[in-house]
Amino acid sequence: MDYTQLNSTHREEMLQAIGIDSVEALFEAIPDSILCAEGLDLMPALSELELQRALKEMADHNHGAHDMACFMGCGAYDHFYPALIDQLISRGEFLTSYTPYQAEASQGSLQAFFEFQSQIARLTGLDIANASLYDGATAVAEAALLATNTTRRSEVLVAATLHPEYIAVLRTVLADLNITITILEATDGKIDPSTVEANCSEETAAVIIQSPNIWGQIEDWEGCFGRAHQVEKTAAIAVFNPIGCGVLKTPGECGADIAAGEGQSLGNALNLGGPYLGLLAAKESYTRKMPGRLVGLTSDGDGRRVFCLTLQTREQHIRGAKATSNVCTNQGLMAMRASMFMTTVGSSGLKEMAEQCWHKAHYLARELCNLDGWAMKYTGSFFNEFTIKCPIDVTEVVNKAKARGILPGVAAKGRRMQGLSQGNELIIAVTEKRTKQEMDLFVDFCKEVSS
Amino acid sequence: MTTLEMIKKLSRSDKPVEPLIFEKHVDQQQGVDFPPLDVPETEIPISLIGAGTKLPSFGQHDVMAHYTHLSDRNFSVDGNFYPLGSCTMKHNPRINEWAAALPGFSCLHPLQDDDTIQGALRLLYETRTMLEEIAGLHEVSLQPAAGAHGEFTALKVIKAYYADHNQPERTVVLAADTAHGTNPASCTMCGASVQTVRSVEGQTDLDHLKEVIAQVGAENIAAFMITNPSTAGLFDMHIQDIADIIHEAGAMLYLDGANMNAMVGRIRPGDFGADAMHYNTHKTFSTPHGGGGPGSGPIAVTEALAPYLPVPQVMMADDGSFYLDRDREKTIGKVRSFIGQFGVLVRCWTYISACGPAGLQNVSGTSVLNANYLAARLADLYTMPFFKPSEGKFCAHEFVTVPRDLLDRGVTLIDIAKRMIDYGVHPPTMHWPMHDCLMVEPTETESKQALDHFVDVMRAIASEILEDIEKVQNSPLESDIARADEVGAARKPIITFKD
Repeated sequence: MDYTQLNSTHREEMLQAIGIDSVEALFEAIPDSILCAEGLDLMPALSELELQRALKEMADHNHGAHDMACFMGCGAYDHFYPALIDQLISRGEFLTSYTPYQAEASQGSLQAFFEFQSQIARLTGLDIANASLYDGATAVAEAALLATNTTRRSEVLVAATLHPEYIAVLRTVLADLNITITILEATDGKIDPSTVEANCSEETAAVIIQSPNIWGQIEDWEGCFGRAHQVEKTAAIAVFNPIGCGVLKTPGECGADIAAGEGQSLGNALNLGGPYLGLLAAKESYTRKMPGRLVGLTSDGDGRRVFCLTLQTREQHIRGAKATSNVCTNQGLMAMRASMFMTTVGSSGLKEMAEQCWHKAHYLARELCNLDGWAMKYTGSFFNEFTIKCPIDVTEVVNKAKARGILPGVAAKGRRMQGLSQGNELIIAVTEKRTKQEMDLFVDFCKEVSS
Repeated sequence: MTTLEMIKKLSRSDKPVEPLIFEKHVDQQQGVDFPPLDVPETEIPISLIGAGTKLPSFGQHDVMAHYTHLSDRNFSVDGNFYPLGSCTMKHNPRINEWAAALPGFSCLHPLQDDDTIQGALRLLYETRTMLEEIAGLHEVSLQPAAGAHGEFTALKVIKAYYADHNQPERTVVLAADTAHGTNPASCTMCGASVQTVRSVEGQTDLDHLKEVIAQVGAENIAAFMITNPSTAGLFDMHIQDIADIIHEAGAMLYLDGANMNAMVGRIRPGDFGADAMHYNTHKTFSTPHGGGGPGSGPIAVTEALAPYLPVPQVMMADDGSFYLDRDREKTIGKVRSFIGQFGVLVRCWTYISACGPAGLQNVSGTSVLNANYLAARLADLYTMPFFKPSEGKFCAHEFVTVPRDLLDRGVTLIDIAKRMIDYGVHPPTMHWPMHDCLMVEPTETESKQALDHFVDVMRAIASEILEDIEKVQNSPLESDIARADEVGAARKPIITFKD
């Protein structure tokens, strides 16, 4: 079904009103040589029932967090979210609306995005936030551009412990803009503040540090950002985990100027990597250079408090080549899910979630380290994710775990992690969803596989 | 102020205004609970603990009420005629939503091994090949997150191609004066400079194109970005000549696929000489706009450009299994994390499979029919600069009107647009691609009754301008709010709630 709604009488009447005999007449300006006379070589149309069968069959050929115990993280997490989110987000008034350019017809979306921006600002401990970007990786790249555009400097210092895919995206984005990326090497899985100090110069636009980092280690943001700020104007960019903010010090508390991160954990499904949402928050001074949409508070003709898109002169549809970014479409619906999630759990719920992640991750880490040959790779503090050295080939661990219904974590070696490591390390994430029973089975499995 | 007083003060219509979540916060209340902790606690060092996030919360019933009330204050494709030009606000089939929500799709971690996600990879591979066929181009990358992201990615691919072919000086990109703002903005992000090519009567001015090429120097040009049909709603009759001129200059023709709805199933960009293009699945393939996103912007390219596409790429092995190829020697690298907007691509697969080849052809045919019908019914009151059916000049899937006669009577374009809101119609795109124009795109999924209703609304507004102009000037009169002060909002921006 192609979802058109005209019958032959309608078509006849409409052609007559235009004064033509057939729809083909409307395409007459197009040379025959480029009309696709044969039609496309695609499968014939499927009815809705056939579609349901075909889709169900494809979905059934996948295994994941719905039928396995998922200990995978590295930028995408199997967190709980309440059932009401799927219900509310399905409302066609949200789902099938466009970008709220017409304030008088879009107060619902606008208020929700204003609330989202306010929640992200509070979550990060910063002043402002935009209405979302594509994902965590592109948000980090936009944060870097925000800093280079503001300072007009040409170097960014990037922690080696930043998610390798984020580093890869940064490299692609900055490649043609004459901006150098200098990698800050780690010591015991973290960036030492003295490394920041040694590398930060008058040419440094930004220092980018993720915490918890790709290994799960909690970085010394305060120490590193303090050193970065010894050079005037250098921006401290914190790449953060929004669930971690429930209990850990926020980017703002640690002296960050800009915070960027992946918002999937806030009420969004794993979705094989997308759609997710990029989070970007900053100090107030960055307001007029922010990329992406911003919703602002204003009044209407009768003096009521209302909302509208604002500072649109930053954006591509007004400014063209001089825009602060080419971003147009954002991740509005995902941002609304994140906002619904935060509204439902609030500070207290987020804190409880974060604490449960902490306790469960530490429980599993301790139990695994009690096994012969299994040991923590790094000594520092971690939150919901940690790196463990396996006594046998990590590929074997992953493969055998699959057969037991366990997704045991992300192997640090191989192309998938952009060559992060050569060793047999497993990066393991534990969310509030994992039960003691699942973790004990995981530990039993590890014991068995390595003995 | 009591809530009732606040609602009275802030509400205009019978729909009460909804307080902000910060104003609804209730101490010690949240909308959901968690199971008790089932493992021993581990102390969290004091030095790591923050001061708390100050996120508001309240009980579950009020959470439902909050968002239900907000949803009442939104126009949508489900509830309103939404003829927003260049945005293709077509019906969003719910089978697409059903599909994307299947746990076998929604619960997959992006770093899982290929052998655990064969169904998902098959869907991605089929989407890839279907989009290759629809484009008439060699290879598609599903990675870009939106149309502008696709432009950026494709420009990077083109740049990489020229760098690899010893022509790194090709850094100038040509764009039509009617191009989407994302075109030049994407160029900037790729370190390319932009030269504008004039349009005449909504068609590329071939003489000016040649002039610009001569001026810039053919050897410096990387690509010409063209939207076809143009943003003026017209098929470019000289598209093949344009392709020839660009190729003669040694450059690439890039198609901005925003208006694919007029061509899908009927005209393949590869067949008229496009070297690269992006799709907007949220336009052409019915994935919902979601209040501004998510989109998805797959790109299609020629065989010559394919080696430079981003990684990973979904592939089919000789044994019929599927895998993600992460090792392209000449790739531009990664443009986003993980694999792409998978959930959006599930909807895209579902839509294309529902339509089939004949259905897709009917989509473009009907979208063009609907637009021409509206234009024909409104042309006597709303001046159409390019629509002249008696001379064989039709529009594509959208049309532009510059209602000069009505404006001359003392209303602005905004007045007309805001009055449409009173009639439950979402205003069309305004002042773009020309000053004082409305750009109307009805899409193929509107019924004749809906189209006729829109004609009635537009004719009623034209009559009001003659008979009761103040009504139009003061509109919207019946919407949730009076006109928002956008200038004031930008002067002193308040973009987060402060206690």
